[in-house]
This record gives sequence, structure tokens and C-alpha cells, in this order.
Amino acid sequence: MPMEATEATEATVRSIPAGAALRRNNVHVSGNPNGRPLVFAHGFGCSQEVWRHVTPYFADDYKIVVFDLVGAGASDLSAYDRGKYDSLHGYADDLLEIMDELDLHDAVYIGHSVSSMVGVLASNHRAERFGALVLVGPSARYTNAPGYVGGFTEDDIDAMLDTLDSNYLGWSAQMAPAMIGNPDRPELGEELTANFCSTDPSIARHFARVTFLSDNRRDLAAVTLPTLVLQCTDDVIAPLPVGEFVHRSIQGSEMVVLTSTGHCPNLADPAQLAREIRNYLA
Amino acid sequence: MTEAPGGQRESSLEDLYERAPCGYVSTTPDGVIIRINDTLLSWVGYERSELDGTPLSRLLSPGNQIFYETRYLPRLRLSGEVREVALSLLTADGRIFPVLLNSRVVTDSAGEPIAIRSAVFDSSERHDYERQLLAAQRLAEESESRVRVLQAASSAFGSAHTDVALAEALEASTREALAASSCAVLVLGEDGRARLLAGTNPLDRYLASGASRPEIEAIRQASTIMISNLDEIRSTMPALASALESARVEAMSVVPLLDATDQPQGALICFFGRARSLDSHDRQLQTALAQQATQVLTRIRLQGELQQLALHDQLTGLANRVLLREQLVAALGAESSADRSVALIFLDLDGFKSINDNLGHPTGDSVLKWVARQLASVVRVHDLVGRFGGDEFVVICSDVNVDAALHIAERIRSAVQQPVDGVPEGYPISASIGVALSSPGTRDSITPEELFRLADTAMYEAKTGGGNRILTVSA
Repeated sequence: MPMEATEATEATVRSIPAGAALRRNNVHVSGNPNGRPLVFAHGFGCSQEVWRHVTPYFADDYKIVVFDLVGAGASDLSAYDRGKYDSLHGYADDLLEIMDELDLHDAVYIGHSVSSMVGVLASNHRAERFGALVLVGPSARYTNAPGYVGGFTEDDIDAMLDTLDSNYLGWSAQMAPAMIGNPDRPELGEELTANFCSTDPSIARHFARVTFLSDNRRDLAAVTLPTLVLQCTDDVIAPLPVGEFVHRSIQGSEMVVLTSTGHCPNLADPAQLAREIRNYLA
Repeated sequence: MTEAPGGQRESSLEDLYERAPCGYVSTTPDGVIIRINDTLLSWVGYERSELDGTPLSRLLSPGNQIFYETRYLPRLRLSGEVREVALSLLTADGRIFPVLLNSRVVTDSAGEPIAIRSAVFDSSERHDYERQLLAAQRLAEESESRVRVLQAASSAFGSAHTDVALAEALEASTREALAASSCAVLVLGEDGRARLLAGTNPLDRYLASGASRPEIEAIRQASTIMISNLDEIRSTMPALASALESARVEAMSVVPLLDATDQPQGALICFFGRARSLDSHDRQLQTALAQQATQVLTRIRLQGELQQLALHDQLTGLANRVLLREQLVAALGAESSADRSVALIFLDLDGFKSINDNLGHPTGDSVLKWVARQLASVVRVHDLVGRFGGDEFVVICSDVNVDAALHIAERIRSAVQQPVDGVPEGYPISASIGVALSSPGTRDSITPEELFRLADTAMYEAKTGGGNRILTVSA
């Protein structure tokens, strides 16, 4: 055990002051301080708010960690380095820093949508703080490739970026006051609830590209943690064959198909989502 | 009271709903269509029976579905209402029908959502206009960002006075402009080897030395190399593919630094953490940054050469008078312990005039070069050897005592006395040497000019005394 600790310290380059990751990612810890840690990571287009109807189901017996990806919610937008966040590795490195700063052990990582792959990359890089992975609506690749159906073409992704931009045309005036918000003031996190999808348009566009043009199929084979794949019914973003691919590629993983439809079971049927996670961890 | 024409019809709520000048659609909280009005049905060209019970997202193009699922629905569920969301419906005959959507969540008495009501507005006319606006906006943003990047880079490059500072500015500008996870700048040295001047090259850690590397290829071929994803190279370059994988790099692009004559001077490398094929805008930007930096690199090197020329003797490469004086001033001004001095060794060749007159200037020049090499080989590492003019040479030794200075002078006398290759017998060479020493501990009291004069006088006396000898004088 002491050996492992030494190795971990050497492998981590701590270039930031203590607590910096917690501020940068607007990390909130709640629930049972002595419980097993659950780390909830939100998906594309959202913030930690998407978990607000899910976390109460775990508050009594688990330690709950929620955070915003840099560029989303009430994260520190000034930390958005386009080079770092040009791949999901940048987000994975942030996750590892958060887990280091909170000194989590045997943590269950629950990643929604794109964050499922963030957890895969992070735990592949350094697994020692993870106990299990729960991947909600995961996709290892959103665009079709020879021998693989991801559901979308690159043209679809371009059309999606157009839609993002069209909506910013209309939203920019409406959203401007919210976007001026001071990320150093955590109390603003509450106010941001209503505007939780408002992000800097150039960040949103870049994040969309990185999310929907990433290919993490190879990374799945390296996962060794106990893994639960939660697949939704009628999810156009991550359809059933995509979820099955993830399940098949991660050796020993379990898969449950939720009755809740769409891509956001954390909002559509938080009770069912929580129940399946609890069943898996029991 | 007389009823206005049409009044009866306008009192029919059903008609108001079905034939409203906007579309209405109600869905379950999950987005499954419960009710849809005639106006919207006629817009999309479906029968009511085809849409009842299907998800609203089926009416959207795939790109719009992503937006609908990841932004519209979550936002609606959390805040209860969204307004003026721009979406494109797909009609039954495959046309795109642009709309604006206002949606509201309907809740039961307990606050639980039971339905979503949406009003749908035809925005085809403003859609085309918006597309043009968007295209223009993107074009403007793109060229603005390009100009901004190049301007910032240009001023950063301009203030660089060394190749390392330039490489660092190039690395920083490129990393930001292309959103690369890391960048590296390689520059060829005089020996033709590429050196890493700025940034990090993750391949250094994972690739065996001597392995084939894209950046070296790019320099060799003076052409750009782009690896968009690892699958591209897995079969042809397996070692590189696995090194990139270990370094968490999925794509890389290398642009050679080409000078004005298209000669490669190095390479600018970008590493990306995901598979990426750079668009023409990004490719041009990387090339433009490389080109701009190479121009500055050429200038910095030229300045270095000019400086070398300005301070060194062209024939022998030794320090010239300017540099000798600078060094002497510095040596005399430097702090030193009480028993150390600065020695100025001044030597004039004996027998050189005869070689020059009888064997020709080319032979004379080669003798001067030979003397320069002999001097450099017998002085200490930090001593400075210079050519004062003609066949006069100077050595500045700081931090010496009398014995050490004499020792060096003696080594010089002996080295110059050796036979010279290519000079026939009967043309012996030797040196008349004057050594002037500053007083220990009182360096400031003597000027460089005085020390020169003292050494020159001592040398002259050594010459008039018969040459091939050393005379010492202390200030």
C-alpha cells in the first residue's frame, strides 16, 4: 500500500495549488461524509444541475461529489485552454485532480453521455482511486465508421453546430447578463440553474466538436473496473447498438436497458436511474 | 347586439386551436406526441395517425436531434420553459422546414410534469437570412481570428532576439491558434542535427532513438506531414502508432520551417489528443506561423553572423580590436582577490615579413592562421586570443599572477617557434612578447589604453633585444 502511494505521487504532476481543481470545476460535496464516494459527471450541453433529482436517493449512505466540466455551468471559464480541452483527456486529467484533492478511494464514477468516456480515459490512465464505473447513455463514437454504426454522419455534426449557432443568434442578448456572472462566487451557482445551458458560444462549439468527433472505441478494451452500462430506450444520441458495443467491448461489464426514453434519464426518470445504480452497487 | 361576421367561428376553441396561424404540439414529458394541430400537420405533411404516439424528435434531422436531446429537453425540464429555440423539422417529402419553438412544461397539482406544450412558428423566411448571416459571421470570425493570431505572433516574434525566444513564441502562438494539446519547435543546428528549442515532443519519451519520425521526414522532404488518426499509420508505421498511443496523441501535423530559398531550417509540430484532420484554415494558419517565424529566424541568425563579423578578425576568426578592448575593460572592472591581476600579452611575429615578401601573401595568410591555432591551443579556456593587426596578436588573461602569466607567455613563445607546414626551411618564425600586468588589487587605477601601451612597449623592447623572447612589465 505505501508503495502504491509513492507511485501515485510520482505519476501526478501537481502544478496547481491545493484546492484549485475544486474551485475550477465548481465541485460540491454532500451526503454522508463516511459513505462510499459517488462522483457524478454531467454530459454535453448540461451542468451538474442534471443530477439534482438523482443525488437525493444516495444522500443517506453515500458521499456525493458533483462538479461542472470546465466551460460548463459555474466552472472557471478562464481555465478553458483550447489545447487542453481539444480532447477528452483534458477533462479526464481534471477529474483525476478532483479525486486527488478530495482524496477519494474506491469511488464509483457515474458519467452521463460524453462524461462516460471521460471516466473511461481517466481510470485507464490512473485507476487507483476508482472502484467502479457507471456509464449512462455512453457512446464510444458518435459518427459512423467502416464496420461501426455510431448513429450520425459528420454532416449531421456540422448541422448540429449550425443549430447551436442559430440558437446563439437568438440567445446572445437574452443570455448576456448570465454569462457575465462571476465564477469566483459560488452562490451564483444557484442562480445559474435557469440558464444552465448558457455557455460561451465558442466554447460550446468547440466542446461539441470534441464530444461528437471523438473516437474512444480503442479505450474501452483497457477498462478493468467493474462497469455498469445504463442504456435508455429510444435514445437517438446513443442508440441501443452503440450501448451494446460499449458493453461488449468492456470485459465483464453489465448492461441494463432503462425504460425511460431519450438521452437524459437523470431528468426523465431519476428514480429508476437511482434504483438501477443502487442495485448494481448493493 | 349584432354578431360580427365570422364571430361564431371564432368562438370555436377547437377551430382556434386546429387552424391557428402557428403550430401547436403537446408531448409527454419524454417528448412523445400526444396532440398536434392541423396547421403543424399541414406544414410537415404527415397524417395525424402517423405522428400520434411517436417521439417529436422523429420530426427532426439528426443534427437537430442532438441539439434537442442535449440542450432543449434538459433545459426545459430544469427551468420549465424555453423560448425561441431554432430547430429544423423534416417534412414527409424530405424537405427542411425551419421553425422557432416556444415550450412550456405543464404540471399536475403536485408539481409533477405531465406534458410539454409547444407553439411552433414558421421561420423559413428568416431562416435563409440567418444562414447567410451565420455564414458571414463565421467567415468574419475566422478571418478576424486569423489576423489576430498572426498579428499577435508577429509582435511576439519581432521582440525575440534569440532563436530560443523565437521558438518559444512560435510554440505558444501555434498551440493556442490550433488548439493543440502540445507543440514542439525543432531547429537545425550548424551540424545539420535537429534540436528541440521549445515545447515538448512526447515522442522523445516513447520512441527509440534512430526510429523513423515524421518531423525528421518533414524536414528531409521539405513538406508538410499530417497524420489524422492512428489507424492511418498502424500498418505502415506500427512503432510510431504505439508511441503516439502511449503519449495519448491521436493526430499530429508537421510543417517544415522553410527559409526564403525553400531550404528547411527546422519543423513546427502540433500534437492533438483526438483524431483530427485540419481544415484548410488551420493548415494555412500553421504554415503562415511557420513561415513568419522562419523569416525572423533568418534575421536572428544573420544578426548573429554580423555580430561575429563585427567583433572578429575575418582571416583568423580571432577577436578583433573592438572585442579585445571590450574584454579588457570587463576584465579590469571585474572584482578580484588582492593577489590576482589581469595580464595583457602582446606579441609580434619575427620573420613574418620575409615570408610574406618572398613566398607571397597566400602563404603569409596561412602562417597567420596557423599562429592563431597555435595560440588558441596553448592558452587557458577563458583567456581571449585576438589579432591586433598585421602580424600582431594579443592574449588577455584575467585572474592570473605573475608566474602564471609568464608561464602562458612561455608556452606561446615555444608554440610559435615550431616549424610550419608548407613553409620551406630558411624561413623561421618566432615571437617577440611583451607582457603587461595590472597591479594586484588595484585594477581600476589603470586604463585599458595604458595597459596596451605598456605591453606594446615591452614587446618592442623584446624585438629590439633580438626577438624570440619575453619581457614583462607591471603597472
